[in-house]
Amino acid sequence: MATHWKKLSVLGMILILIVVLPMVTDLGSNIMNVMVTLFMYIILSQSWNLIGGYTGQINLGIVAFFGVSTMVTHFLWKAGVSIYLAITAGSLSAVILAAVIGLPTLRLRGMYFAVGTLALAQAAQTIVGNIFTRTISMPGSFSTNYSLTPRYYLGLTLVVIAMLVVYAVTRSKIGLAMVAIRDDEQAAQVTGVKVFKYKVIALLISAVLSGLAGGLYAYVRLSFYQVFALFSPSWTFDALLAVVIGGGGTLFGPVIGSIFLVVLSEIFVNTLGQAHLIVFGFIFILVVLLLPEGLMGGVDVVRPWVYRTRRSSQ
Amino acid sequence: MNAVIQTVLIGIAIGALYALVALGFGLIMGVMKFVNIAHGSFIIIGGYVAYWLFTLLGIDPYLSIPAVMLVMFAMGLILYRLLFSPLLKYPRAEMRLDKSLLITFGVMWILDNTVTLLWTPDTRSIVTSYTGSTIDILGAKLGFTGLAGLILAFLVAVILHILITRTYFGKHVRAATQDSGAASLSGVNVQRTYLISCGIAAAVAGVAGVVIVSSYSITPSGGLNWLLTAMVVIVLAGEGNITYILPAGLILGLVQSISTLFVSSAYQEPIALIIFILVLMFKPKGLFASRG
Repeated sequence: MATHWKKLSVLGMILILIVVLPMVTDLGSNIMNVMVTLFMYIILSQSWNLIGGYTGQINLGIVAFFGVSTMVTHFLWKAGVSIYLAITAGSLSAVILAAVIGLPTLRLRGMYFAVGTLALAQAAQTIVGNIFTRTISMPGSFSTNYSLTPRYYLGLTLVVIAMLVVYAVTRSKIGLAMVAIRDDEQAAQVTGVKVFKYKVIALLISAVLSGLAGGLYAYVRLSFYQVFALFSPSWTFDALLAVVIGGGGTLFGPVIGSIFLVVLSEIFVNTLGQAHLIVFGFIFILVVLLLPEGLMGGVDVVRPWVYRTRRSSQ
Repeated sequence: MNAVIQTVLIGIAIGALYALVALGFGLIMGVMKFVNIAHGSFIIIGGYVAYWLFTLLGIDPYLSIPAVMLVMFAMGLILYRLLFSPLLKYPRAEMRLDKSLLITFGVMWILDNTVTLLWTPDTRSIVTSYTGSTIDILGAKLGFTGLAGLILAFLVAVILHILITRTYFGKHVRAATQDSGAASLSGVNVQRTYLISCGIAAAVAGVAGVVIVSSYSITPSGGLNWLLTAMVVIVLAGEGNITYILPAGLILGLVQSISTLFVSSAYQEPIALIIFILVLMFKPKGLFASRG
């Protein structure tokens, strides 16, 4: 229990620091931008974490949910709806899309869900690329009043919401069912877990989170030059990478993974250019092969080793 | 009427190509229960090998097929040795499948970005003296390259079928597919069987790449779309059923081609997705599965 409080107070302190810091000092638009990107990555990777990390269903098309929410939010906001309502509607549209692809594919085992989501993302990219051939953007008045601060706080709020959702879901009966399905679907079925039902629930909650990330993106970016790039597989890859590197099926794995990813790409983009994507690919494969539980699992590997050396040095 | 024959002809040609694209993917899927998301990238790389052989050395794309197959075979061996064989240590098949999905997604990412970096994101295609020429069949026209793709697809499908059903190696493959443990106990070198199957799958991907680069075009990121086509064909054929891949490919090609009579040809991918979902809902074991 004591460690529980210690953890909570450390988390609270970090949160307060993140909340207060932009109020006290001017961080500059560069750092603010990186922070907002980080918030987006955390939400998106938490979404992948729920369905992939906790439930064990590989979603290779999370970008479809993200992208559709971005577009719905963008157009509703443009039509004069408040941004909060627009993001909510965007998330809802992501949920609908998730139901369309999830209901037929999640019933079957094996590769169908992965293939279905990947196909959905590609089809969405094609459709959107055919319809929106020109840049879409918000009216000029939005960009003259543009300020990063509300984006920062909305992003932070959404991150907190996403973390609370993941925490609540995984501590509930649903979370128990999800983990049971991941660890051994057959055994879960035999012991009375309604496998299909919980897979769909996990997917829908996950889609809500992707939708929130997409809505935030629509709030941050006012114009989209190539609309089909919203559905680029690189979003999926980034979310996957963050979860796998940080550690799937843990609450803080995706956060660590996202920080790792965002910081590393900030460093690499200037030095390596496009080659940094290849480096990420290698890191990804190495982590999947060698550190199946990601950096969070790595901590567990290192911890006893550190303690042992400390004890022996005493 | 003429337009209909033309459409059907195009459908058959492209359907055969779909089958060719799906064969290598289906082989790995069927034999090892691994999903190779990088299959599309392999196809693209095969296309690039043919492209550079043609551009730099002037070798005709169809004559370069053996060289392409050899290069791709080697790539398949490397893929197996480095990434697939470590996965065999996982006891449960689902776990192996999930890991293979993740890893090959990473491989696809690396290959696509490497190709973009090396050879720019430009669209490439091989234009030979006979590229534009057509052959008249029943009053409709079929491009020479389309016909070549059709013949190659049938050839590869038949050879693979014979290899699996009539040879000693095929016996090993079938044994390893059905029960790798029992096969291993009765003296089948399962690891080697997997290794060679993986090489063959990549070589077949190379052939598909040659057909694509000479009759259509390739881009570094285009592999994903071909991969999805392959997956839809596999779902139509029934998972792990290599024999039915050719008919399944032809059906998909015909449906897509006939659909262009009604909707814009830009929507072929969504149509493939709709077919995919419908088949999964109503015939989850493939079009050719008997009841039950």
